[in-house]
Amino acid sequence: MADQADFEADAMQYAPQLYSAAMRMARNPSDAEDLVQETFLKAYRAYGSFAAGTNLKAWLYRILTNTYINKYRKDKRRPSESELGDVEDLYLYKRIGSEETADLSRSAEDRVLDGLVESDIKAAVESLPENFRVPVLLADLEGFAYKEIAEILDIPIGTVMSRLHRGRKALQASLAEFARGRGLLPDGEPEDE
Amino acid sequence: MSDHCREALDKLYAYLDRELDDVSVDVIRLHLDDCPPCGRAYGFEERLLVAIRSGLREDVPEVVIERIRTAFRTEIR
Repeated sequence: MADQADFEADAMQYAPQLYSAAMRMARNPSDAEDLVQETFLKAYRAYGSFAAGTNLKAWLYRILTNTYINKYRKDKRRPSESELGDVEDLYLYKRIGSEETADLSRSAEDRVLDGLVESDIKAAVESLPENFRVPVLLADLEGFAYKEIAEILDIPIGTVMSRLHRGRKALQASLAEFARGRGLLPDGEPEDE
Repeated sequence: MSDHCREALDKLYAYLDRELDDVSVDVIRLHLDDCPPCGRAYGFEERLLVAIRSGLREDVPEVVIERIRTAFRTEIR
């Protein structure tokens, strides 16, 4: 059991990270701040039930995620998996086009990676349906392991992997749109292998 | 695309997410050394994940963290 008196010293260090994740979930600063505040209060009240020495960060993210889902999903239709079209593997990479030499190819890749700005990446992630966006955030922003994501979201690990896989492919399709808009990708579809 | 390429592609995210056992990691590394197209694809995906992570990170204003801390202390008093 964790001691409530230690809560602030133990947990407050995660405030900036939780806020980053909350921004990508709630998609605006004021809701993100509310979300983090609510997370800390709930976590404080439940701290007696947290097993000291276990994964505090994952536990806080579990509370953050549940708070977000309960608070902001109520009146929205639960997004279904079918809302994500099937996107091919390596979607973005395949659209960069192969150049004659490895060096030229590498510089075409760099152009895309350097040309995508922060706001493109944020907007692309925010455009994902929630049940894909949250696993993608937990993996790609926070670096949680699949097993931790499964515990945070209370879903089987196989579901984590499939949502992550499909979410990342959809993210690539969205990033490709931004890259196209910035003139970073050649026109047209790639040739078949 | 060979069976080895197919397998490497199937395991791409598990590899990049460090979710594979050591034996599978070795098998994939050997293949990547032998197969420049797969090596390039892996390299790109790895760099893309790094770009995504840094793009998603929010510069959190200190004043926001202070407000969160103050609100917390006020509530629990």
